[in-house]
Amino acid sequence: MNRQIRRLGITMLVIYGALFVQLNVVQVFKADEYRANPANRREILRDFGKPRGQILASDGTVLARSVPDVGSFPFRREYPTGDLFAHITGYYSFSFGSEGVERSYNDDLAGRTGKVSVDGLAKLLVDEERTADVTLTLSPAVQQAAKDALGDKQGSVVAIDPRTGALLAMWSNPSFDPNAVSINNQEAAGAARTALLADPAKPLLAHAYRETYFPGSTFKVVTAAAGLTAGKVTLDEPVYPASATYVPPLTNLPIRNFANSSCGGSLLLILQVSCNTAFARMGVDIGAEALVSTTKAFGFGEVPPIDLPNATAATTADVAFFDRNTPLLAQTAIGQNTVRATPLEMALVAGAIANSGIIMTPHVMAEIRDNDARVIDRWEPRPWRKAVEPGVAATLRDAMINVVQRGTATRLAVPGVPTAGKTGTAQIGNGLSHAWIIGFAPADAPRVAIAVIVNGQEGASEQTGGRVAAPIGRAVLSAALAVTP
Amino acid sequence: MTRSPSRSSPRSTELGLIVLTALITTAAYILAGFGTLASLPVDIGPFLVVILGLLVAAHLATRRLAPRSDRVLLPLAGLLNGIGYVFIARLDEGLAGLQATWTAVGVGAYIITLLVVRRTRGLERYRYTFMLAGVGLLLLPLVPVIGRNINGARIWVRVGPFSFQPGEPAKIALALFFASYLVEKRELLGKAARHLGPIALPRLRHLGPVLLAWGASLVVMMAERDLGSSLLFFTFFVVMLWVATERASYLAIGTLLFSAGAVVAWRAFDHVQVRVSMWLNPWQGIAQSVPQIAEATFAMAWGGIAGTGLGLGQPGRIPASETDFIFAAIGEELGLLGTTAILIAFILMVGSGLRIALRARNPFDKLLATGLTAIMGFQAFIIIGGVIRLVPLTGITLPFVSYGGSSLVANYVLLALLMRISDAVDEDDPAPDANEGRYPAAREFESPS
Repeated sequence: MNRQIRRLGITMLVIYGALFVQLNVVQVFKADEYRANPANRREILRDFGKPRGQILASDGTVLARSVPDVGSFPFRREYPTGDLFAHITGYYSFSFGSEGVERSYNDDLAGRTGKVSVDGLAKLLVDEERTADVTLTLSPAVQQAAKDALGDKQGSVVAIDPRTGALLAMWSNPSFDPNAVSINNQEAAGAARTALLADPAKPLLAHAYRETYFPGSTFKVVTAAAGLTAGKVTLDEPVYPASATYVPPLTNLPIRNFANSSCGGSLLLILQVSCNTAFARMGVDIGAEALVSTTKAFGFGEVPPIDLPNATAATTADVAFFDRNTPLLAQTAIGQNTVRATPLEMALVAGAIANSGIIMTPHVMAEIRDNDARVIDRWEPRPWRKAVEPGVAATLRDAMINVVQRGTATRLAVPGVPTAGKTGTAQIGNGLSHAWIIGFAPADAPRVAIAVIVNGQEGASEQTGGRVAAPIGRAVLSAALAVTP
Repeated sequence: MTRSPSRSSPRSTELGLIVLTALITTAAYILAGFGTLASLPVDIGPFLVVILGLLVAAHLATRRLAPRSDRVLLPLAGLLNGIGYVFIARLDEGLAGLQATWTAVGVGAYIITLLVVRRTRGLERYRYTFMLAGVGLLLLPLVPVIGRNINGARIWVRVGPFSFQPGEPAKIALALFFASYLVEKRELLGKAARHLGPIALPRLRHLGPVLLAWGASLVVMMAERDLGSSLLFFTFFVVMLWVATERASYLAIGTLLFSAGAVVAWRAFDHVQVRVSMWLNPWQGIAQSVPQIAEATFAMAWGGIAGTGLGLGQPGRIPASETDFIFAAIGEELGLLGTTAILIAFILMVGSGLRIALRARNPFDKLLATGLTAIMGFQAFIIIGGVIRLVPLTGITLPFVSYGGSSLVANYVLLALLMRISDAVDEDDPAPDANEGRYPAAREFESPS
């Protein structure tokens, strides 16, 4: 019998060894996967049991804070500015998870980053919460100016410091009240969220960096940049013939100017009046490779590395796509058909021209401080990509100043400040169009770049962008110049 | 002759280990108190007294009643019991007092068993009493008035204010019956009728007991919906049969029969299908409600290597965290280190039990020790493996750790029987003084067959 007993012992060792292996799988190797499972409420439950760091605007205005609460959890998130920064701060809800800065800087706000905890080890014995406050680059004054200027109209406003990539304002209307979905009463929060989801205007969606639109004529800046970069366009050459229509190769459908007007000329003039036929011709002349490579150099086709969750990439077609689609290449050159951009991306395009061709990485975080107000993290500005050579940027800057001085964007001019800009009107049918403006100021030493889109405006003439969007852009530029040194 | 520490009296070693156990348990209790309440538990004084008192009482009784018995089994049981108690108290204060009471009853049962059973061989003549008791206890929950369905399994009996799981004492009674029955019949059962290649097949009529046990386990599985106990009974019966007859063919036949039964049960019963599908895919339907096995997995993953710390996790989220799932609660708060410690404690107990079986001189003791050890070892394996999804989950208690009076008392009785056998091992030694090595290698490796 002893032999069997020894074998039984070995069997026991083997099956307990299997238990040990499986324990390692569950508790070590796959632990992260299980922790991240959405059904696992442990992380959020723990975080809801303690206060969370604040989110502050650039001037110290509190945008989000934890306040004591009675009910399911000892704390709840409060957003004193209501809907103003909802698309930036996001929300922090027990039932629906988190969004915005609440999500992208969750580890800091919850006091879970290495920097907070390693330093916090010494203070482990004293009963102190180690959380961090996140200060943003956004200015309430500029944000409020954007909100006021846009008013009831649906659309988005983005203001950015082109030298650093810091966002100064990013507003989309409609917005929502993050307090409503963050309250601890889960039924009420659920009802609020359901109502927001049912709204066809999608107030929960941060349109400014998550929705793409045809950029329309604002894209002509990119087309011009492609022409200049390819060396096929200069300030003087070519001189595009004045015409009311342009029929690209391989089609008989003409591209028309607004109101069938006739236009043409060299770069300054065609940008000034936003001449469709000339830019369509330019796109076909320089070819798909030049246009697409410059478009991608501006960041199209790639998600901007902004420190907010789920940003959307501007889109463009590949070179090969245009092989047999020359008509589409012509349409692309005037910002239709194959290109779509977020308002954030168009602000980055304006910023690239303003910053000698370099697009700085866009960001909302300025710095993170621990409980003792010591800085534990500070945003170091870094370039995202080089869009064009400085010489090309300088030429386009002059061309865009000209547009504000004499062209379609005169309403963008900030009094006493040299301003550069480009309008856009992206037709969406039924006589409606998206009104765009991009620009920057002061044009000689730019501190602010902006993009504005006003959705679904009456009118389809090139004047729509200048009439509707430019005044909003001017208001935001003025407000932003006041807060940027 | 010099006496090295390892050769000191088993009882002194045991006392030292018990002091260590008491220290660990008390420290854990204090930590859990700090973790949950951020203050020293108020009832720390009485608690210390109870734990220390019970362990010392068990030790003193062993010293007197079974002085030469195994030295590590009691401290290991005390450690498991203590850690289990800390978690039960931390999870549900209302259960803490009850569990302490049951621990006292369990230690009482341990002492009484040692007191009453002076020679295990004296139990042999009651074999059919044990058989009737075992089968009767097993089927007791099916009796209409007193049987109770709890959580879908009909394994409870309620008489007046008391409820208990008769399956727990039944497994000891059946181990006693099997041991004595198989000792008598092992020669007969071991005879091969014919050979099928290398496999010696037993005579058909000798398969009777196997079929009977199989049938009983199937009844338990189907009528009481108690998959864990069913698996446990059949496993330890087949193991005992194999050890007694030294015929591997019984293992093969047993495995085949159980597999067949399991497949039939899986086809025929929803609750078996649910268990299997939950084992294979615990994330199914997780959006609607988190299955308990997934919640247990989350808890263990949350604990990671070092655990959240006692009192600092959220083990209350795991269903049945005081009973079947207590291992997941330990995994969350003590981490891989804690769960590994529990595994080591069980494998040490199994090792000690099998060592006792190896040294036992008469076949009955050998078989009984093997059976009792197999019960403990397999029971812990089945529930731990179920909780961590190595095998399909079948709800049974984790010996000494889970909350539950029936389980605790039965396991202390099981422990007392093992201690009694190990004590008898040395009683049979001709001259203890001349046998300083106590367990000479020559004897350990002799082959009695």
